[in-house]
Amino acid sequence: MFAAENGLKGDPRLKGISDSITVVPHFPKPGIMFQDITTLVSNPKAFKDTIDIFVDRYRDMDISVVAGVEARGFMFAPTIALAIGAKFIPLRKPGKLPGEVISEAYELEYGKDRLEMHVGAVQRGERALVIDDLVATGGTLSAATRLLERVGAEVVECACVIGLPEVKGRCRLGGKPLYMLVEPRQ
Amino acid sequence: MATTPNSLVLEISGVKIVPQSNYHSGNSVKVKLLPNTKSPIARRTPTIYGRTNTPRGLQQIKSSHMAAQNVDSTDDRISRISSSIRVIADFPKPGILFQDITTLLLDPKAFKDTIDLFVERYKEQNINVVAGIEARGFIFGAPIALAIGAKFVPLRKPKKLPGEVISEEYSLEYGTDIMEMHVGAVQAGERALVVDDLIATGGTLSAAIRLLERVGVDVVECACVIELPELKGRNLLGDKPLFVLVS
Repeated sequence: MFAAENGLKGDPRLKGISDSITVVPHFPKPGIMFQDITTLVSNPKAFKDTIDIFVDRYRDMDISVVAGVEARGFMFAPTIALAIGAKFIPLRKPGKLPGEVISEAYELEYGKDRLEMHVGAVQRGERALVIDDLVATGGTLSAATRLLERVGAEVVECACVIGLPEVKGRCRLGGKPLYMLVEPRQ
Repeated sequence: MATTPNSLVLEISGVKIVPQSNYHSGNSVKVKLLPNTKSPIARRTPTIYGRTNTPRGLQQIKSSHMAAQNVDSTDDRISRISSSIRVIADFPKPGILFQDITTLLLDPKAFKDTIDLFVERYKEQNINVVAGIEARGFIFGAPIALAIGAKFVPLRKPKKLPGEVISEEYSLEYGTDIMEMHVGAVQAGERALVVDDLIATGGTLSAAIRLLERVGVDVVECACVIELPELKGRNLLGDKPLFVLVS
């Protein structure tokens, strides 16, 4: 579900956030209109508003874990975790996390990739969020959800700044609620 | 909380030192030289290098000194931060002791204190830009940027940033890697911090400094949670000061 349909209709912060995102055509391949959030994070007001909207939504939901997907998820998730008093868990590409990990495969357009999480980072029964900058097919978020569920955490919601058309109109991803702030810019 | 495994301390010899820039590839290598004692890996007494905040721009500093009142007020926070960092033996290669900050991130108080210590230092310093080095530098740099009202600028591996970038090459143990920044992300004359989780040989941080200076930015200071002082990374930063919480 989009923020505008879920209590924030007409909130001027959403327009500011959307306007701060840059569209880069044909990156990384022809035909892809890449939604570049670096201009959002370099806009202190838009960046703060983004975080505030997520924090306002989650602060009273008893969330003890905020998982961020490498690497752009790392720009948003840690501050949300700090603001709501939760642990921050980085979900990383293979081989980056030292020590014992569990991993989950997910589909790319061509081929597969894996996402890893530390063993012992999350306890059974903890309530978790998954944060990334953007959701397209939902493959990465689904893998992240599976990782957390495998260790017995409850994924309360997946949240992204941008939701692409593939997920438009969907309120759930893999059975989990999906919350997005804005649609892609044209 | 982190535990320091006693059993492996003294068995490690011939620790290989690799250039810093290898530490920020996918398989970071962090080396901690062990003191010649029989005690377990004791983290050193945490040291804060830096100086007290004043409204003037930061001056160059080379040695550690801090007003007594700052040390007193931060001691408890520093020791909790220090003990929350986990040391992982033989990652990514045998003989290497990896400083793992993910356990710090699992302790909300330690993580908050870490950010607070940086924010307290920089919030009155008119910092316009916080540049964070991919990927662990994002975890610390973005919250700092938000708290002090600065732009956050990610410094990334090749081909991650869309659009026009400038690149800086830096040395690895074998070969080189490249760090990129968006053209137009920063303006000449802006005051910047460079943030990463750890400094070892200083190769990555010095590449970041070069990138920012090429576009006319004033790099005020480099800020890291951890320093490995034996690797003398500070020396590669030129005249740029370094501020760390734990070494």
